[in-house]
Amino acid sequence: MSIVQLRNIWKIFGPTPQHVLKNISPQASRAEIQAETGHVVAVRDVSLDIAEGEIFVVMGLSGSGKSTLIRCLSRLIEPTGGDVIINGQNVTEMNETDLRDLRRNTVSMVFQRFGLFPHRRVIDNVAYGLEVRGVDAAERYAHCAEILKLVDLQDWGNHYPHELSGGMQQRVGLARALAVDPQIMLCDEPFSALDPLIRRDMQNELLHLQKTLKKTMIFITHDFLEALKLGDRIAIMKDGVVVQVGTPQQIVANPADAYVREFIQDVPRSRVLTAETIMGPANAATATDQSIPAHTTLEELIPLVAPTDAALPVVNGNGEVVGAVDRAAVLQALAAA
Amino acid sequence: MTSLKSRSYWLLSLGLVVLLFVVAQQLPQLQLFPEDWNLGWREPINDFKRWVVINRTTHWLFLLIFEPLSAVLDFVIRFVEDVLLWLPWPIIVLGFFLSANKISGLRLALLVTACLVLMGLFGLWKESMQTLALMSISVIVSLLIGVPLGIWAAQNDRVDAILRPILDAMQTVPIFVYLIPVLLFFGVARVPSAIATIVYALPPAIRLTNLGIRGVSADLLEAADAFGSTARQRMRKVQIPVAMPSILTGVNQTIMMALSIVVLAALIGSGGLGDVVLKSLRRLRVGSALEAGLAIVVMAILLDRFSAALGQRSIQFSQPQFQGFRLFPASWQANGFAQRIEGAIDALYVRSGNLNAWIKSRLPERFRSDWASMLLVCAVVAIPLLLLGIDNFPRDWNIGISKPVDNLVEWMRVNLYNIGDSGIGTGPFRDFLIVQIFLPLTNFLTNVVPWTVIVLIATVLAFRTGNWKLTIGVVLMLVFVGLLGMWGFAMDTLGQTLIAVVLCILLGIPLGIWASRNDTVDQLLRPVLDLLQTIPIFVYLVPVIMLFGTGSVAGLIASLVYSIAPVVRLTNLGIRKVDETVKESATAFGSTGWQRLIKVEVPLALPEIMLGINQTTMMVLAMVIIAGLVGATGLGLEVIQGFANDNLGRSVEAGLAMVMLAMVIDRIAQAWADKAAEAANLKA
Repeated sequence: MSIVQLRNIWKIFGPTPQHVLKNISPQASRAEIQAETGHVVAVRDVSLDIAEGEIFVVMGLSGSGKSTLIRCLSRLIEPTGGDVIINGQNVTEMNETDLRDLRRNTVSMVFQRFGLFPHRRVIDNVAYGLEVRGVDAAERYAHCAEILKLVDLQDWGNHYPHELSGGMQQRVGLARALAVDPQIMLCDEPFSALDPLIRRDMQNELLHLQKTLKKTMIFITHDFLEALKLGDRIAIMKDGVVVQVGTPQQIVANPADAYVREFIQDVPRSRVLTAETIMGPANAATATDQSIPAHTTLEELIPLVAPTDAALPVVNGNGEVVGAVDRAAVLQALAAA
Repeated sequence: MTSLKSRSYWLLSLGLVVLLFVVAQQLPQLQLFPEDWNLGWREPINDFKRWVVINRTTHWLFLLIFEPLSAVLDFVIRFVEDVLLWLPWPIIVLGFFLSANKISGLRLALLVTACLVLMGLFGLWKESMQTLALMSISVIVSLLIGVPLGIWAAQNDRVDAILRPILDAMQTVPIFVYLIPVLLFFGVARVPSAIATIVYALPPAIRLTNLGIRGVSADLLEAADAFGSTARQRMRKVQIPVAMPSILTGVNQTIMMALSIVVLAALIGSGGLGDVVLKSLRRLRVGSALEAGLAIVVMAILLDRFSAALGQRSIQFSQPQFQGFRLFPASWQANGFAQRIEGAIDALYVRSGNLNAWIKSRLPERFRSDWASMLLVCAVVAIPLLLLGIDNFPRDWNIGISKPVDNLVEWMRVNLYNIGDSGIGTGPFRDFLIVQIFLPLTNFLTNVVPWTVIVLIATVLAFRTGNWKLTIGVVLMLVFVGLLGMWGFAMDTLGQTLIAVVLCILLGIPLGIWASRNDTVDQLLRPVLDLLQTIPIFVYLVPVIMLFGTGSVAGLIASLVYSIAPVVRLTNLGIRKVDETVKESATAFGSTGWQRLIKVEVPLALPEIMLGINQTTMMVLAMVIIAGLVGATGLGLEVIQGFANDNLGRSVEAGLAMVMLAMVIDRIAQAWADKAAEAANLKA
């Protein structure tokens, strides 16, 4: 059951967006519409289903509409058309009070440029969501001290944001989003303002946290490698349209079009592709003494298939044989780029 | 407009001017502004004033609105004044010392103490406290009105659009114009001066609150929204706190504005330090005027630093910043005596810190703060002092400087006025300026040049720099000056303004260039310019009158000193801002320093320089009234004499004419500066 459903979301910027939406011709490109009407189609007829507990990455270059899309979710930007359904409730039809309750309790957000309040101590930043919800001081400080421990900032609660490094600031941002114990976290390029090394640390930390927290995360990035690393599933956007949705392996193995293929060029395929994505039919398996877990990457696979001509059976989590791989399949997959 | 070639435009304009000159010789209506066109507002205004005077005790407008308002304000001011005078003076000093120390540190605390003690030593404690009371109440009321208005304007674009031109006008209009309606409805006393101060000090509070809140970054607003804040929560928890540094800058400017009219407020009966300045000036007792003037400066420094420190404090740190304090320069460190004193200060500081901690630990939890403990200390110290009957600063501790200053003035009057009857000295210099420059220029502008030619020149300039709207506005405003019957006085004022502005430019731009080239000069000039802008205008007048007597020359020199700062400052800034690589490329092509300056730096700095000239011009115009107080002829003198002779109509007419003149000059200069900025941007 998907926790978030987007149904035909449109966002058009300009003076009369509704009018443009009604008269839009399906063939017209974004540039044509802009030239003709002066309106910018930021998000174009996007429908997505996001499952509970998954990290869903929306990937695209700047201007592809991904940041606008994520803001339509909690109506920080009002969608021009379509429905957002969260936990079966239609967010697009909510009144102001219900929407505020949704933002206070269900959906929280991490921002690209952190969006920390400079006049509040770290702990008060983290406590902000609880504070506007009306939780009393003692309770929210106790809770937020715990959350700070989670992101390894327990000693920094009484400092002000500008006294922290960029990576630490974004951990505060993360803590602030976690403190309200949301079902859904929206992450708008949270790590792109950070140095590469710190970015890697933060990605690992996020994955580590996710193992225990199991939040539903919708994560925006323009970095394809980041998308591969974090995403359970990835949606790739271009000019406001979602061009492909799938697991990292599916996308790397079968890019939908030339645009997606561009991204894949620099991807170290051997680390992304797994036995599961390249395997042939199960009845082709010839070896019996050895089996391979389905999520084994090609990199790990190479030393296993290199010494043998046999096709090794691939097994899923329950130990059932679901396919087979041999040396030829691995080499083909590596060459396919 | 742009299609017209620049040269042919100016030639055509010149032709028109010459033509008009000739035609005007034949048609007297075009030469002198026809007197029978006068709108005749003077008598109705005076009638209205008489009506107000007669009905003040009977009409509902006064009984229900002005009188109660006046009574409340008067009560509050009197109350604060009484408290300040009832409290033993050491408590006031101690209170300021402790708060300054808490806000910023020992350095500010000592500065504040020195300022207060100096006021006492001048024998002006009582007057200083009166001024402090009036000031505090005025500033507080200004903020109570201004900050909410600023918040409202920040949230509502329509409110902002309505307020903006009003605030612009409020800052263009000479201070005196505020006094007129206030005077009309509230008479002469403490309350009208408080109201005039409140109105005058209001714009920065509104403007900077608005600016600060609008300046809160969209990222933060989005973050606040994303966590489900209500509009109220967003304003209270995010926007206002983030805008606080800007709001506090507004508070600081409000205080400085209020202080800058202390002396003028005395004209309508504020009492306090301003009154001392005025009375002494009238009796030409330069020494005591200077003392009171200095006391105002000292109070300005005190309140300025105090409120600026508040602003800085709002940029927060988790731990108190390092509190190192050295009384003596580092090179004295080896000196045993200096070390002992500094050691003693440190020890005392640590002890009082401990005392504070001890007191705090005894306080009930709800009141446990540094402020509560400070209040307690003050109260405890106050009781024995009150029992001893100590209130005002002791009279016999006076170190008044009025005697030596009076002697110096007398000496200068005797010895510099006309050195050895040689025709050299301040007296002949003044006579030369008046006879050779002021009178001929005024005569030229009023009698030789037809009024229509002046209007035409302004039109030509406005059309060239701005657009149709500006041009029509300029023509209407100038004709209005004539219709008020103030053409001649306005031309007199215009002439003096031109002389002052030209002198400011001739002195200020080279000074600014020099400062931009030479860091030492820059560093020397900076505090001097700061001081010039902090000191109440009147204080300039004192030494100037000493040297040149009253009249237009005193007015000119005071205007010069008061108004030169922006030109110097902005020229310096503009040249320093020129891109390093641009300068480098000029040098790389073998320019001499002079060539680089003239061909590259000055043209690129032109927008800033123009802005400086514009500001300087406005400041010169703001001085017109004050110059009138010391006898400079023109609109300023008209306003003053209207006041003096109970002829309010005359003051209003002259005041309105002054506003028109100021607006014409400001708008043309503004358009010109915008154009220069545009051109510089195109080049870059």
